Amino acid sequence: MKSTKKVLALVLTLALVFALAAPTAMAKARTTKIGVGLYQDSGAAVTAVKSYLGSLEDALNVKFTYTVLSNTDEAQNITKVQELIAAGCDGIICTMDMGTEAILQECADAGVYLAGYLCDYDTSFRNNYDNVFKNEFFLGTVADGGCADEARRGYDFFDSVIEYNERTPDAPIRHVAMTVFPAFAFPYQQSFAAQFVEKVEEYNAANPDKAIEVDPLSDETDILMFRPMDSTYFSKHPGIDAIVSICSGSFVYPTMVSAGVSNTMKLFAAGYNDGDEAVFGSKGAYQMEIVSPVEAITYPLVLLLNKINGVEFPDQPAEAERRGSSVLLINSDEDLAKFQNSIYLSFKPEDAFLSPEDVVALTAYNNPDATYAGLVDVLAHMTIDDIK
Amino acid sequence: MPETVTSRRTDERTSFFTFIKNHTMDLLAYAGLAVMLILFLIFNSGPRLMYNFSAVVQAAAVYSILALGAVFIYSMGFMDVSLGQQVGVYVILMILIGNKIGGPAGVVVGFLVTLALALACGAINGAVSIFLGLPSIVTSLFLMFFFTGAQYLLMESTGENTIKLLQTVKPADRNTYTLMLIGIIALLAVIGTYFFNYTKLGKYTRAIGANKVAAKQSGISLVKWQVLGYMALGFCAAVASFVLLTRTGTAGKGTGSGYAMDIMICLILGGMPLKGGMKSKISCALVGAFTYTLLSNVLTTMGVPLNWVNFVKALIFLVIVLLTCRKPNGVLPR
Repeated sequence: MKSTKKVLALVLTLALVFALAAPTAMAKARTTKIGVGLYQDSGAAVTAVKSYLGSLEDALNVKFTYTVLSNTDEAQNITKVQELIAAGCDGIICTMDMGTEAILQECADAGVYLAGYLCDYDTSFRNNYDNVFKNEFFLGTVADGGCADEARRGYDFFDSVIEYNERTPDAPIRHVAMTVFPAFAFPYQQSFAAQFVEKVEEYNAANPDKAIEVDPLSDETDILMFRPMDSTYFSKHPGIDAIVSICSGSFVYPTMVSAGVSNTMKLFAAGYNDGDEAVFGSKGAYQMEIVSPVEAITYPLVLLLNKINGVEFPDQPAEAERRGSSVLLINSDEDLAKFQNSIYLSFKPEDAFLSPEDVVALTAYNNPDATYAGLVDVLAHMTIDDIK
Repeated sequence: MPETVTSRRTDERTSFFTFIKNHTMDLLAYAGLAVMLILFLIFNSGPRLMYNFSAVVQAAAVYSILALGAVFIYSMGFMDVSLGQQVGVYVILMILIGNKIGGPAGVVVGFLVTLALALACGAINGAVSIFLGLPSIVTSLFLMFFFTGAQYLLMESTGENTIKLLQTVKPADRNTYTLMLIGIIALLAVIGTYFFNYTKLGKYTRAIGANKVAAKQSGISLVKWQVLGYMALGFCAAVASFVLLTRTGTAGKGTGSGYAMDIMICLILGGMPLKGGMKSKISCALVGAFTYTLLSNVLTTMGVPLNWVNFVKALIFLVIVLLTCRKPNGVLPR
């Protein structure tokens, strides 16, 4: 009886493995295969990316395969890319700049192209430009909100705080503290904090009666090591009206709730998480969120498809570039209402900034009039006001 | 039919079943590897077969080397949860020292320093638990926290998310590199087999795992052989770190993370009894490392959806554990 059960367990496992494999093995008609290495395997952004790319499969004759990369372990990233190559991918979109040179060596060995998304490849840009950006197998990358040297995220936070104060003159924000991720992982977040402080100082000089106090970043409490903010944050920053979280708000808001300040304190944050809409604007603490448009993945996708089809734009730069896309800045209830009609929340491909036909028209192998400038221009029109 | 013939046949059948019974775990482990190899060949029957073969060798190399060293401590019924963090720090140190000195000499010095550190850590890991009477996992926990902190501090001191070795240590030709890795794995497997099967080190570590009290009463020095067992792991950790460096050429804050758990899974998949003892085998390391690597590779090449990969891995792991469970009320092989 015991051994029967064991044999049954083994048979069931093998059956499951074959059942999962069978449909994909049968569907091996020759379509272009693109591997997508994301930064996580679930969440609203991942669902939205898959929904958007899924809607393009028929129009572009492309099949997408997904994996998850690590932002700390380069060996894992190499293995994941090798697996994508082994799975028959002709091109790969990566969201991490870890082990990039070795990954490109793999791509060169297999004749597979690589492009970036949601990542400015800053480490490679600064330390390894020749081996990465001049590599014929690296086609370029798009970063949300601009690349490291051009991003102005600190100014966006400042504008948002001022917009809030103008909207609510009876209870303006006068005292702010900030949070960031550590510099070794996100080297530019502290620059964004400095940008915010710089703007506040300018504002205070011009408007002494409306001056805003900003607590300097504290090493003890304000640099979040990818763990939820500690409740000692509030004793370190007594009397604050708001937190400017340059890192994701998901590391801050739960601590605000547990400390009982979520009804009185405001939160301006990067990133958007499921359920945030219930505590946004007039409904709760969140007053600003920054969201990366999933449609920006069109940039690496089009570059890959052109290359795989042996075509280039007439104005294609000689070396790979890193480009910034616009971001979705949600500052008010009205913005949130618009955002709820975006693919990011609805997961409906018809809510995307670009339809499959639009993307086909962006590719050089389908449209001889398509240009690189046109592709770059599309990235600038993915703001909250561009939502249909 | 003459009685002698019948009796011989009965004996043969009995010895066959006895063999099966005594080698259930080994047979299942080899069967698992064989299934993975068959699936690998089925789903890679194209121009990328050789590419994927070398990718598997690359991915399995570090696991194999670490698992070969880990056999010595798992055979005593111990484990080391600091392994991943140790590897991370060793790779970072090799890069920092290598870049500071420069040239091939820098890499050699970096490796030697790392090797010395790895052997010292192995000795500390083995000795402290005995002198303080602590379970081995507690001392390795201490080392894990120590190395986690060291890894953070070293990376923060560089001000970078990733650091790169300036000297090239990886052969430019892919086939040469694959052969180099196969050579290293084979060499260490031969050395490991020799020490595990034909010297006191292997015999005594297995004896300690089988029955510590009996081993002690037989005159086996627990301190000496426990320390040497951990030092064998330290040696393999240093070599594995170098192999990892040849593969990535870079290191970061998370380099090595997860290896401790991966090695445990490799060894279980390879048929290693977690309680150690006389049934421990060096082959468990290689069988487990390649099964584990092939499993991940095969699931991706089969096109199993991302959301299902971990589920399928967990299911296969659970089934293997249940099939190899020898104790009526146990959940893991012993």
